[in-house]
Parts: sequence; C-alpha cells; structure tokens
Amino acid sequence: MTVTEPVPTSREHRSYDSLPSASPLGAPLDWKWLKGAKSEWGVRPKIGPRGLTMLDIATGSYGEVPEHPPHRSMAPRGADVDPDTPDMGYILNNKTDVWAENVTELYEEAVARQWSATRDIPWAELPELPDDIEHAMCQVCTTLTEVEMIAADLPAKWMWRMNHDFLEAKMFLCTQIMDEARHAEVFRKRALANGGGLLMSRGSSEGLLRTILEAKTYHQATALMHLLGEGFILDIFRMGELIAPSPVEKRMFRMAMQDEARHVAYGTMHIRYAIEHDPDIAEEIHEALDHGEVVLTQFGTNQDFGSALAVLLGGGVDFIEDRGFPLQAEMQRKQFTSYLARCERAGISRLHRTKLPLDVLGIDPATVLAN
Amino acid sequence: MTSKIDITDLSLYRAMAEELNAHPETFTVLGEADMVLALVMRRDEGSDFAVRIRFEGLRCEAVDEVDASEAPLADYFLDGPLAKWQAMFDDIVANGAASGRQTINSLALLATNAGDVRLRGDDPMGVDKFSRFNQTLQEYLDGAARVAVTA
Repeated sequence: MTVTEPVPTSREHRSYDSLPSASPLGAPLDWKWLKGAKSEWGVRPKIGPRGLTMLDIATGSYGEVPEHPPHRSMAPRGADVDPDTPDMGYILNNKTDVWAENVTELYEEAVARQWSATRDIPWAELPELPDDIEHAMCQVCTTLTEVEMIAADLPAKWMWRMNHDFLEAKMFLCTQIMDEARHAEVFRKRALANGGGLLMSRGSSEGLLRTILEAKTYHQATALMHLLGEGFILDIFRMGELIAPSPVEKRMFRMAMQDEARHVAYGTMHIRYAIEHDPDIAEEIHEALDHGEVVLTQFGTNQDFGSALAVLLGGGVDFIEDRGFPLQAEMQRKQFTSYLARCERAGISRLHRTKLPLDVLGIDPATVLAN
Repeated sequence: MTSKIDITDLSLYRAMAEELNAHPETFTVLGEADMVLALVMRRDEGSDFAVRIRFEGLRCEAVDEVDASEAPLADYFLDGPLAKWQAMFDDIVANGAASGRQTINSLALLATNAGDVRLRGDDPMGVDKFSRFNQTLQEYLDGAARVAVTA
C-alpha cells in the first residue's frame, strides 16, 4: 500500500530566513536541509495492519529504483546528494546487476520469519537413536555446517561493491547472511546435541564452494549460489522430513527450508530480471553453470554425505541397498529435475546445454518442463 | 473416532482457519505469511472439490469453495486425487499432526504423476511460496486434528 496522505497545514508557511549563518564554532551553516531541499517532501505513507513495511514507504520518488544510479556514494536513495560526495568504488551500478522484482517483499518476509536455533528447536526432545542413524545424521549435519556459510560469505564478498541505490537488494542479502549463520548454527548444534559429533569433511565439498566463491561476476556468482547450490540444498531440506529420525530434526529441516526458499526465490527472479533486461548476460551465466554443474555432480556424489543420506532414507545400514540407495537415486533425480525447472523459470534454459548426466540420472526433459 | 473426516465439506476448512486464528501462539513463531493457495481434490466421477485459502499476515483471512478451473489463479495449488487427500487428513486426525510421508511437503516432493498430490502453478514467484510458507500451511492443515468436523 503506498497511499500518501496530505501533510498537516501546521507545517506550512514557516520562514527560515533569520537563522544563523555560522555555528558557535564558526562553521558555515547554509540550512539547505531545512529550506533548500529538492527531495520529495510531504510523503506520509499509510501504515498497514502489520506496521510500516518497506513496500509501504516505496512511495513517490522514493519507490523509484534507477536503472543506472548517478551517484557512487552511500547517500540514501531519494536524498539531496551533494555533487562532491565521494566515489565508494562500487562496480555493480546497473539495476540488472543485482535487482529482483520480489526483493523488497522477500526482505520483509525474511524479517518477519526469523527464528532461533536456540529457542525454536525442541532440543530436549531428541531421542536416543541407533548408532548408525546417529552417525548418519551427524555426518549430514557436518556437511551442511560446512556448506551453509558459503551463502553468507558470497554476498558479503559482493555487497560492498553494490551501488547503494539498490538498498533493498543489499538489505535482503543481509537477511540471507543472518539466515545462513543460523543454519550453520542449527546443524552444528544437532551434530553435537545427541552424544554424537562432527564427522568427515573432504575436498569434494570444497570444490563446489571454491567455484561459487571465485565466480568472476555477481551474475555468475548468484547463478552458482542461488540457482545451483542453494537450490540443491533447498531440495535436501525438503527431503529432510524423509530423512529425519525424530520430530526434532523434522522441525530443523522445515525451518531451514523456508529460509532457503527465500534465497532461491531471490536468485531465480534476479537472473530472470537480468536476462530480460540484458539478454547478453545469458551466455555469461551459461558458462558459469557449465562448470558449476560438473562440480555440483561431484558434490552430490560425495561419498560421506551421499551414503549418510542413503542410510537415513533407508532407515539404517541394514537397509541401504534395498531402500537407501534406490530412494537416494530417486531423490537425486528430483533434485536435478528441480534445478533444471528452476533454470527454466529464471529464463536460462539448460535443457540442451546441461552438463548433468541426464541419461544416467534418468531425467526426461519433458518431465522438467512439467515441473 | 469411527467415521472419516469429510474433507469435501467447506466448513472443515473454515473451522481450521478459525482454529489457527484462535491460537496464534502455535504459529506466530513462523511469522507472517501472504499467500493464496488452492487445494484441488479430484474425484473419479468428476465434480472435483476445490477450496481457495488466503493467508495474510498472521491470520488465515478467507476460505472459499471455488471451481477447480479457478485454482491456477492462486499463487499455487495442490492438486491430487481425493483418496490421497483423504489419507493425508486421516493421518493428521490419527496422529494429531501429519506424520511420516503424509506432510504436505513430502507428498508434493514425492509426487510423480496425476495420481499423487502435486504442487502446481503458473507463476514462479507464486509457486515459491509453497516452500517459503510451508510450515504455516502445515500448521493450518494440522488444525484438522483439532476441529470437530466429522462426516
């Protein structure tokens, strides 16, 4: 809602002509903020039932996000900006570089749906589990603790390079960083909470993380992280209800899933926005995904994470060949199908270019388009 | 309970909304949710049942029966045979909340064809909301266990 109400008349007709021209310390005062401001004055957004949201204040000129901001400073968008404000060294100065149509909504959603890994998971209800199941859950949580912080490190690497006029996108990425801190926290806590511990970490996970972190452009980075990496992890979280041995883990995965879905929603719509406004970006993203899919496949077939998931899916090591591995293969097929469908929604079809072994995975492209 | 819950009775879904709105402490921790979804229950003989549910902020604000053909107008819709829906609600009533693979997330995740409860929708931003607000929806559905509506 962006209804603007009239400013009360008591604010009108003031004169500021007799104000001092210098401070007590002798510094010049021009009072431009009081009497010379060119910014839009008289804005009064209507407060909604849940309070004053960023969508509520995106009114008038304050709601206009420029395609190519004229400034490179940290001045708030919509303020009167002195021409001599310093250049902060931003390199992401086009709206297509970072924007997504849903980013302001996602920011508000993220703020409204924060949760606590300390308080909101019923840790005291963790049951004693069979040894193999506890080991498997601890291994899954070890790997998830390892990979989750990449989605905090990566935006942190790029945010200070983003033009400050894209404030809402930066604010959303701040919530993503907080979310990922909480995910690292909750999985670390689960690994340690039930008499287990942190287990194996090997290079196959690090390869994917390094690929994401070292992406040359933000478009490539977000494609690798949001579309590919976080999309893959989102499907792991969705799978969490199937692998969780108790309601405690179910709750943990469900809560993390909602956060992760916001991140994927931003990345999907950012890529879509970028390609719609600058089709040349598509090839840059394709190149990143060509490589990313190869390392994702390596990560997805990581023996520690993969076999632990299969043990949980099967219900124990005794059932891994009869139930665990077949269910895992089915889940992997869904994960990769989901990724390819997400690419379609982002406007970057990978069906005829993907490096994923579709035949080995048993993925029919027609199924992807139906998702 | 000897009789199955009647899941094609609109009053069930309205009672679930009242249940949710009356107990904000259960789901407030999940945070605000803004989404419109539809549940579509297919009958072999036709005359499908569909209900549209609107969440706004911390409340379930509207529950209406709609024609199944209107389901795609929602952010997303969950579409499956009546028998699969019945099994899900029976599980909720029997266990107090969805258990095992009867959660709405698991049902949609494991769906492979029209014989399952599938997540559908035309708007990618809308379909996203299924995962983003999944637990709010699950809390709403689990409310079926607490409302006294039986056939």
